Amino acid sequence: MRHRAFSVGLPAALCMVAWLAMTGDTRPSGPLVSYDPLDEECTAPEPNPAPAALSLNAGALPLRTMLMQARIAEAQTPIQANDASRRKPERMIRDPYAAYSAVAVDPGHDEVVMTDENLFNIWVYDRSFGRAPSDRPELRRLIGGLNTKIEFQCGLYIDPANGDIYAVNNDTIDTLVIFSRGTSGDSKPDRELHTPHGTFGIAVDEEKQEMFLTVQHNNAIVVFPKSAKGAEAPIRVVQGDDTGLADPHGMALDTKRGLLWVTNHGSVHSVRQNPNRRRGGSPGFPLDRDDAVPGSGKMLPPSITVYAKDVRGNARPLRSIQGPHTRLNWPTGISIDEDRNEIFVANDGGNSVLVFDGNASGDAAPLRVIEGPRSLVKNPTGIFFDKKNHELWVTNFGNHTAGVYNPDASGDAAPLRVIRSAAPDQPVPGLGNPHPIAYDTRREQVLVPN
Amino acid sequence: MHGIAYDAIHDEFTVPQQFGQAILTYRGNANGEEPPIRVIQGVHSQLDAPEHLDVDPVHNEIFVPTRDGHILVFPRDGKGDVAPIRVLGGPNTMITGDAPLAVDPVNNLLVVGGTAGRGQTRLLIFNRTDSGDTKPKAAIGGPNSHLYSFGGPFAVYPQKGEILVSVRGPGPFAELASEEAFVGVWRITDNGDVPPRWVIGGPHGILRMPRGIALDVKHRNMLVSDKRLNAVLTFHFPEMF
Repeated sequence: MRHRAFSVGLPAALCMVAWLAMTGDTRPSGPLVSYDPLDEECTAPEPNPAPAALSLNAGALPLRTMLMQARIAEAQTPIQANDASRRKPERMIRDPYAAYSAVAVDPGHDEVVMTDENLFNIWVYDRSFGRAPSDRPELRRLIGGLNTKIEFQCGLYIDPANGDIYAVNNDTIDTLVIFSRGTSGDSKPDRELHTPHGTFGIAVDEEKQEMFLTVQHNNAIVVFPKSAKGAEAPIRVVQGDDTGLADPHGMALDTKRGLLWVTNHGSVHSVRQNPNRRRGGSPGFPLDRDDAVPGSGKMLPPSITVYAKDVRGNARPLRSIQGPHTRLNWPTGISIDEDRNEIFVANDGGNSVLVFDGNASGDAAPLRVIEGPRSLVKNPTGIFFDKKNHELWVTNFGNHTAGVYNPDASGDAAPLRVIRSAAPDQPVPGLGNPHPIAYDTRREQVLVPN
Repeated sequence: MHGIAYDAIHDEFTVPQQFGQAILTYRGNANGEEPPIRVIQGVHSQLDAPEHLDVDPVHNEIFVPTRDGHILVFPRDGKGDVAPIRVLGGPNTMITGDAPLAVDPVNNLLVVGGTAGRGQTRLLIFNRTDSGDTKPKAAIGGPNSHLYSFGGPFAVYPQKGEILVSVRGPGPFAELASEEAFVGVWRITDNGDVPPRWVIGGPHGILRMPRGIALDVKHRNMLVSDKRLNAVLTFHFPEMF
């Protein structure tokens, strides 16, 4: 167990923690989401260590970083330019509060763990808060900062035996990070695993000690030993035109029936080994963008695909759920109640939670749908069925909340308990890994793909 | 998605769809689950994993780089499985792969990001209509340029002949953030190992991982997205306009 002091990377998060501790559900007086300059404390960027010379870091840094260090060393002079380096922005669109993405419960320690794709933290709360109206959620630990390598984390797994946290980074850093239970602050991961670019969902077969990851960019599933680390290669790969994988996201394992469930957003292209690829591929890893077959792209309806858990290669799914009656719309997180054979889906684009019969196939309608203003379900991305406590957790990227539901809930059912990072009336910019931007001169609006 | 272009003349915006290998164009005021008004997709398009693009609304063309170092040029109003009207690529171009690009329809230039061995990053400047295996007319890069690595799509300001580039910085956390990151401004007449004319937001400023850049000429502002800040910042920058 480690407890380390927060050192970097947490000023905005600490602002929020302070607000939660002081005010509970009371609306704070200061800005939560601001389109104007923010106060210094809540906007101060993370301090980075000064760049070190190449020789000091050789072997410890990624190749690209070392090359950049070398180029800096080659430069004869500092930048000779008109200097606006310290100019402060006139405005900044930035949400200073957590946007919860993935969620998982550690039943052994009665904690709920959530990733945050806005402030780049992992939040660990007391699971069972709310037994009395004054019983606020207790933040037990916060993991965040540059040493943690936590960024846009979309998949989460808690080891039931020891509480280790497995957190999947999506497309900005190709690293799965694993923290031992009790880690807090800006701590280095206990273990790291290099992953294909664009991993999203995670599931673990504890019986076989195998770990499954979905790969959005390559329409693939990779399977590693659960204990894999470093640059270890997958032990098997699921990829190919027959798999039905199409921008795969969430994943869940039904250990009782030996099934692997995957949500797919629907965009797909073919890959073939490209002998002329400009970068060398990694042995054992799936074919990637350099192996894309030009012109093979399709945009299919979203789906859920089901496989035997020992699936490999270009295997067809055992069955698929797809079609207009399914109401699938960017299905993202997925979780299973194995005893009742029910499948819970965080339906991001549909602002709903869909519950399917575990035997559903084809254009099947969900058994139940949780949606509506009282439900607080808004752009849900994470979902977790807590078997021990018979509760359903849903994280909502669209409104700063995580809600706990009765798994039998239907319609516009209010959550039993809520963890919220901001007051209900605060705007949500919805920024998530903004890359290109454009300015619409007619409407004087900024266009930001995420 | 690493590219978006707003076309003020036709009031529409265009984005690449990498996984579906498509170019999607929407109405300028599109909202919600609105379908695109045009889609370029199919075998003849040669699109492999489109991430970046730019639109020339004056000459009605869309520029899209491929993973293997070619620039595909499509008619702006192309729809369906259309073939590019010209392709720029080959060893003489020094274009090495999918990289940011920007078209300057006033000065008739195309600016493409390139690398040359050991990860050296360069701005390659072509005539807008160049095709085939054509050498760039200029290449900006080298130790004194401080062009470490591109952060995202470029912007051009044709009226002043300026190229705005987000530059990632080095450091032990370079994959995530760097204090050395900045936005640099070069001129379209620059060539060789030329330092930027301006640096904004860094080094040692507020930027940590700058990505996209857009210009609000009317208000003399430069907008920058930053991955690590997960934010969009607006810098008032009248000196540039």
